[in-house]
Amino acid sequence: MTELRLVTDDFAAEGPFSEGSPLPRRLPPGRHQIPANVVREHQRQRLLAAMAETIAQQGYASVTTTTVSELAGVSTSTFYKHFGNLWDCVLAAYVATSDRLCATIEEACAECDPREDPLDVGIEAALSFCVEAPACAQLLCAQAPLEASAVAAARRILISRLAAMLRRGSGATAGAAQPPGLDERMIDATLVFVGSRIATMGPAQLQELAPELVAILSRPRQAA
Amino acid sequence: MRSEARAAAREALPVETTAPTPDATVREGEMEGVLHVVGELGFRNASVRAVLEYSGGHRRQFYDHFESLEDCFGQAYRTWIDRLGVQLLEAAIAANGWQESVRAALVKLFQFIGERPTIARSLFVEVHVAGGEAMVEHDAAIERLTLALDSVRVELGPDDAPPESTGLFVIGGIEACVCDVLAAGETRRIWDTLPELMHLAAGSYLGPEAADVAHEEAQALLERERTELEGGGR
Repeated sequence: MTELRLVTDDFAAEGPFSEGSPLPRRLPPGRHQIPANVVREHQRQRLLAAMAETIAQQGYASVTTTTVSELAGVSTSTFYKHFGNLWDCVLAAYVATSDRLCATIEEACAECDPREDPLDVGIEAALSFCVEAPACAQLLCAQAPLEASAVAAARRILISRLAAMLRRGSGATAGAAQPPGLDERMIDATLVFVGSRIATMGPAQLQELAPELVAILSRPRQAA
Repeated sequence: MRSEARAAAREALPVETTAPTPDATVREGEMEGVLHVVGELGFRNASVRAVLEYSGGHRRQFYDHFESLEDCFGQAYRTWIDRLGVQLLEAAIAANGWQESVRAALVKLFQFIGERPTIARSLFVEVHVAGGEAMVEHDAAIERLTLALDSVRVELGPDDAPPESTGLFVIGGIEACVCDVLAAGETRRIWDTLPELMHLAAGSYLGPEAADVAHEEAQALLERERTELEGGGR
């Protein structure tokens, strides 16, 4: 199953998952010394990871609380202890994955050599994220159903965050004023583009898109 | 030349022109019904019963025409996306110049969305949920529109050529914008995006100067003719 890595490293190091076992994996059944809050958090992470995996494999058409619960290794009654309904779980998975993508890009840009183009670094980091966690990437790129309006709103928030990063990244190389909303359109287009590429070429080759994507995103700003 | 190109577009995307039989009319109604129901309720909540409540007719008749709800949606999707594709290409061909063609096609698309928002939600949003045959048709339509956008490459020198995937990127951006507006149920807001989308298309292919011009021209067009354009195809 895809690792969402939604449990922080500190949490993992202090908890019962520090013996090298990948997260999220089902906890040992029966009596154990694991605190109830840790079990609960672990179940939640498994459900979020299972949601991303199910949507990546089956699409939105056939995802149900039952299929997600089965993949996560919990009962449906446990599912409903964590989430009010299917869409609450999708939303939680979307928000957590968005946060992780943004943190990955920000971290890469903060650590990069000042001589490097931040747009290059940001795109490379985002595509690496997609390669490592293709189900999460598909969750972020996929068009949500009409009934999942909160997920659509979360997508708009992600687009705004990434557009702000794009503005910062491209500002270092250009500086020309852009019409309001253009960066959001570029990011929206990028999500659709990457989503279609995952479907057609598979996640492994995504990194090859980096130079072309940088060229596409730079072109409206390049001096003639 | 334009009429030849229009004829070629019609050839590529055939539309029924013969008088429909009563059975074909019922089938057509069922196809419109499935798109309406999916656009209204979402693909996950659609049912044959809901389609028949919209279109009339009997369940048995429905299953004479289609194997399943999914089959009906797939066939309806192909028919409607082909028709819309012809309309967009005709609008593009009737305009002079690449930028004007792109703008004319966007205006036609926005008029369709304004007139048939529920059908548009099926065609652009819920198709991603449905997947299957409809998604294959969706991808084919995207490819045709990408080829049409790419026609500007013949006017550009090798040094000015945009990246290979530019067309797919621009069409993806337009579709994402349409989906956003449709999902929010704010179809009139789609007109506000015309300058941004023209900037995206022209900038991605031709660079920033052309993008600024395309943006300004689209804004000027909206200031002059927005009310007429919104009422366009009615």
